[in-house]
Amino acid sequence: MAKLRGKAAVSGIGETAYTRGTTKSGLALQLEASLKAIDDAGIDPRDIDGCIPYFPGAGIAEDFIANLGIKDLTLSAFIPMGGATCVAALQTAAMAVATGVCKHVLISVGRTGYSGARVSTRLQQFPQFALAAEFEAPIGMFAPAQLYAQGARRHMELYGTTERHLAEIAVTTRKHAILNGNVVMNKPLTVEEHHASRMISDPFRLFDCSLESDGGAAVIVTAADRAKDLKKPVVSILGVAEGHPESPASIAQRPDLLEFGLVKAAARAFTIAGVGPQDMDVAQIYDCFTFTVIRQLEILGFCRTGEGGPFIMDGRIGLGGELPINTHGGLLSQGHVVGLNHVIELTRQLRGEGGKAQVKEAELGLVTGYGDMGDGSLAIMARGAA
Amino acid sequence: MSTTPPAPERPLPTPTRDSRAYWDGMKEGKFRLQYCSSCGKVRHYPRPVCPHCFSMESEFRDAPTGGAIHAWTVCHHPFNFSFKASAPYIVALVDMDAGVRVNATLKGIAEADIKIGKRVRLGFEAATKEVTLPCFVAE
Repeated sequence: MAKLRGKAAVSGIGETAYTRGTTKSGLALQLEASLKAIDDAGIDPRDIDGCIPYFPGAGIAEDFIANLGIKDLTLSAFIPMGGATCVAALQTAAMAVATGVCKHVLISVGRTGYSGARVSTRLQQFPQFALAAEFEAPIGMFAPAQLYAQGARRHMELYGTTERHLAEIAVTTRKHAILNGNVVMNKPLTVEEHHASRMISDPFRLFDCSLESDGGAAVIVTAADRAKDLKKPVVSILGVAEGHPESPASIAQRPDLLEFGLVKAAARAFTIAGVGPQDMDVAQIYDCFTFTVIRQLEILGFCRTGEGGPFIMDGRIGLGGELPINTHGGLLSQGHVVGLNHVIELTRQLRGEGGKAQVKEAELGLVTGYGDMGDGSLAIMARGAA
Repeated sequence: MSTTPPAPERPLPTPTRDSRAYWDGMKEGKFRLQYCSSCGKVRHYPRPVCPHCFSMESEFRDAPTGGAIHAWTVCHHPFNFSFKASAPYIVALVDMDAGVRVNATLKGIAEADIKIGKRVRLGFEAATKEVTLPCFVAE
C-alpha cells in the first residue's frame, strides 16, 4: 500500500484574486489560475498531459486542449466528490505520474459561486444529490448548511460542543486571512460578532458558513524525480487517500451522522506516509463549516471524539500555536474554490513561501477534503523529496 | 418582452420506478417501506438491490409510524423562495421504530422542548393534489 509514498510532488500552484463579483467566466478563472500554476512550475502549457477539472464545474478536458494547445492528453478524469474532490484528485494524479501514464497532471477549479449560480441551485444539479433532491429538498432541506447542521447539533448535544467553540474556528481563520491579503473577508472578526450574526440553519450562523465567492485555483502534480528539476523546491506527497462513508448519498440514512469518509482515508494516508498526527507542523482542514473542522480534527486523531471543541481553544490552532490550521483563511474567509486553496497553502508553507502567515520550520503538514454528504480525502505532504 | 424571471417552484419529489410505491403510500396516508422479499430486511431510500443479500425482489408494506428524534436543525434562512413564508421551520431526523430514518418537518413542538430520544409520530401533509410529504407530530 505504501507504493505511492513520496512518488509524486506538487510542482506548481496558481490562483486568481478571490472576489465577490466578477465579469469573467468560470472557465476563464480556471484557465487564469492554470496558467499561473504552469508558470510557477516552470513548464510549457503544452507539457500538461493529464487533466482533472473540478466537476460539475466550469471547464472540461476539451477546454484545456483547446486553450492550452495540448497535443497529446493521456488522462482526462472527473472526481465527483464535492469538497473532497481536490485532495482525492491528488491521489489520482499521483497514481498517474507514478505509473508513467502522465508527466504533469493539472488539477483545477474555476468558480463563479457569487456572481453565477448560488449554492442551493447548483447542488440540485449534482447527480450525487439525486436522493437528497427527491427526499430532502421537498421538506425544506436544500443546502449543505441545512444538511450538515443536524450532525453538528447532535455533536453539541452528545459532547457539549458549544457556539463558543464554533466561533473560535471562525475568528482564528479570519486572523489568518488578514495576513494573507488575497481574501474576500479582510476585516477582523470578534467572538461577539460571530454570536450576533444571523442564524442560517441552527446551530450554523452566518459566520459558521463558508463563502460564496468567485475565483480560480490550480495545482500541478509531477513525479517527484522529475519535479526536482523544475523551478520551485520539491514538496512531495508522502501519503494520500480518499474514503467514502456508509450511505454516501444521504446523511439521513447514515448509521453515524458523524462518520465521514475521512475515517477511512486518514487510516490509509497515515499508513502510506509512515507518520502520525503528532508529527504535523501545520494542517489545512476543509472548512465548509466551522463545526466540520472540529469533527475532522477528532477523526484525524489530534484529539478524541467529543474533545474537538476544547482542543481548538486557547490559541492551539492559531499561528504560533501547537497546530496552526488554515493559515490562508480557508473557505470561511479567503474564498471557496472547493479546497484547492488549501492544497496551495500547504504547498506554500512547506516551500517557505507563507509570507506573514509562515509557520516556522514547517516541514510536514496535511490537507483534508470533505464534501458531497461526507466523502473524505487526506494528503500528507513534506518539504523536499521523501 | 417581459424580463421578470419565472416564479420559483416549490421543489417536489419526482418519483422514480424504484421509489413510486413509497410516494403512492404517502398519498394514501400510509408509511410504506421497501422490504427484501428474500431476507426480509427493510431499506430506505428505495433502491433496486438489497445490500444485505443482493436480491432484486422486494415488496412495499405498511410500517409503524412511531420514532425517536436523532437530530434536528432549525432552518432560518429559507435558501428557496418557496420556503420563505414558513421559515423558521424545524426539520427533525427521526430513528423510526421501523428501522430506518426519516427527515421531515416537525410540527407542534417548540424548539426548547426538543431533545435526542424524544418520541414523535410520522404524519402526512398534502403538498399538492398529487404529492403528500411526511411530517412529524407529537406522539
